[in-house]
Amino acid sequence: MSSVYVVGADLIKFGRYPNRSPAQLGAEAALLALDDAGLTIRDVGALYVGSSFNAASMMGQQILQQIGQTGIPCVNVSNACASGATAFREAMIGIMSGLYDVALAVGTEKNPPGMLPSRKTEGPPPEGLFGSGTMPAVFAEAGMVHSAAYGTTIEQFARVSVKNHYHATMNPKAMYQRETPLEEVLASEMIAWPLTKLMCSVNVDGAAATVLVSARKARELGLSRAIRVRGSALASDPWEAHNPVMFDANSVTRLAAAGAFEMAGVGPQELDVVELHDCFATAELLHYENLGLCGEGEAGALIDSGATTLGGRVPVNVSGGLLSKGHPIGATGVANIVEIVQQLRGEAGARQVDGARLGLAHVLGFGAAAAVHILEKA
Amino acid sequence: MTTSVAVSPRPATGFIRVGEDAKPWITGFRCMDCGAVATEQTLACRRCTSRSPLQEFRASARGRVYSWTVVQRSYPGIAVPFVSVIVELEDHLTLKGTLRVADHDSVHSGMPVRLVFDDAGGALDPEGAPYVGYHFVPFTGDEK
Repeated sequence: MSSVYVVGADLIKFGRYPNRSPAQLGAEAALLALDDAGLTIRDVGALYVGSSFNAASMMGQQILQQIGQTGIPCVNVSNACASGATAFREAMIGIMSGLYDVALAVGTEKNPPGMLPSRKTEGPPPEGLFGSGTMPAVFAEAGMVHSAAYGTTIEQFARVSVKNHYHATMNPKAMYQRETPLEEVLASEMIAWPLTKLMCSVNVDGAAATVLVSARKARELGLSRAIRVRGSALASDPWEAHNPVMFDANSVTRLAAAGAFEMAGVGPQELDVVELHDCFATAELLHYENLGLCGEGEAGALIDSGATTLGGRVPVNVSGGLLSKGHPIGATGVANIVEIVQQLRGEAGARQVDGARLGLAHVLGFGAAAAVHILEKA
Repeated sequence: MTTSVAVSPRPATGFIRVGEDAKPWITGFRCMDCGAVATEQTLACRRCTSRSPLQEFRASARGRVYSWTVVQRSYPGIAVPFVSVIVELEDHLTLKGTLRVADHDSVHSGMPVRLVFDDAGGALDPEGAPYVGYHFVPFTGDEK
């Protein structure tokens, strides 16, 4: 298969933008990524845009109306929290097909305020009558399976928030840049046991973009800052006995991870840096095992050891993650990849992982979709 | 001779069935090829893809807690706290529900529970007909 390279990557600061449209946010990220690559929209052969809440609005065309209506094909992608990563992967496939030399992948979102809504159903509103369908409750229940099987404690889950909030203090584009000690995480408002408010991701607006090119184009541009896509996989949820009554975050992630590792020809022990889908603190520990960063049941010990903190064996979510950088649903999958690109280039500033050569970006969409990308310094 | 008209309650969620005697039950569907069960009648088995017709069955009202959480904050207007549980019934059907239990600290994985039908919080459909819903209670072994 032909190689695909990322030559441009950037994101806007995550936050609240009440006076700007998601297309304007996406357009700003697109221009940042194009400037980073030294290219213009006239060089781009196709545009892929991920968005969830704002999906049915011809987002890609709206972005081109902001930055240049060059007439290129636009593919608008909706795949829940995996929307952005799906757009990135489709751009990669477009390059691999030989149809395009340069493709632009953008993720953009303006999240609705408050707790994200559940799907509409017939009959009386099910919330409270038939348990809870809120995302915190769903990921609390996922965490409690791990807790029952391995004795994982609320303190271990809470340490994920301590770590990711600490990492975010080194990321000027994170929504929050403030450390939260363990006592503060545990003492914040209980939402759904064992998740306190500081163990839930931040509901924000944001956008991120990447420029992908063929090997031929990458050589033409010079490979000094190019990052190679070594592995890419997208999975839907395979059958599992409790799914979909109980959301299964694990099997779909494992399926995507296996596919990406196989394509890359590497194993999890070779990774230098990981951005994974910490939508809730419980999820990060589940994904340590799902991605093979540790053995089954060892996630609690892994967070306790400090191995996933900056300076540890395999730093996880050095960007601050969804917990502190923020989680604009459709943008997250691209933003995770942008962080890995910056790390592999050695351009991550205070949060740089020393000597990072191989990185992994993972996202998980409710419903379910999981995407895993493995990137390498060219 | 009676003048009252019996109004049959409507299922508050898709997999509740109500008989002619107004008695409700939970319905499940089993793949006759691989044995997988689900509350939804799908076109093919979601596990083995078999297109043999799924067999409908009346689910057991007893099971065990597979996972749980105590919800302290939900959508605006929803009364909290309540216990949300994932229950695996004896016939392996999985249901999500609310566990009504006085002591939230007593909830644990593997806890035996029993399904109880209710009036879905007193909700009425647009025509004024009552709903039938369900919740779980701890199973102590004393019930019939």
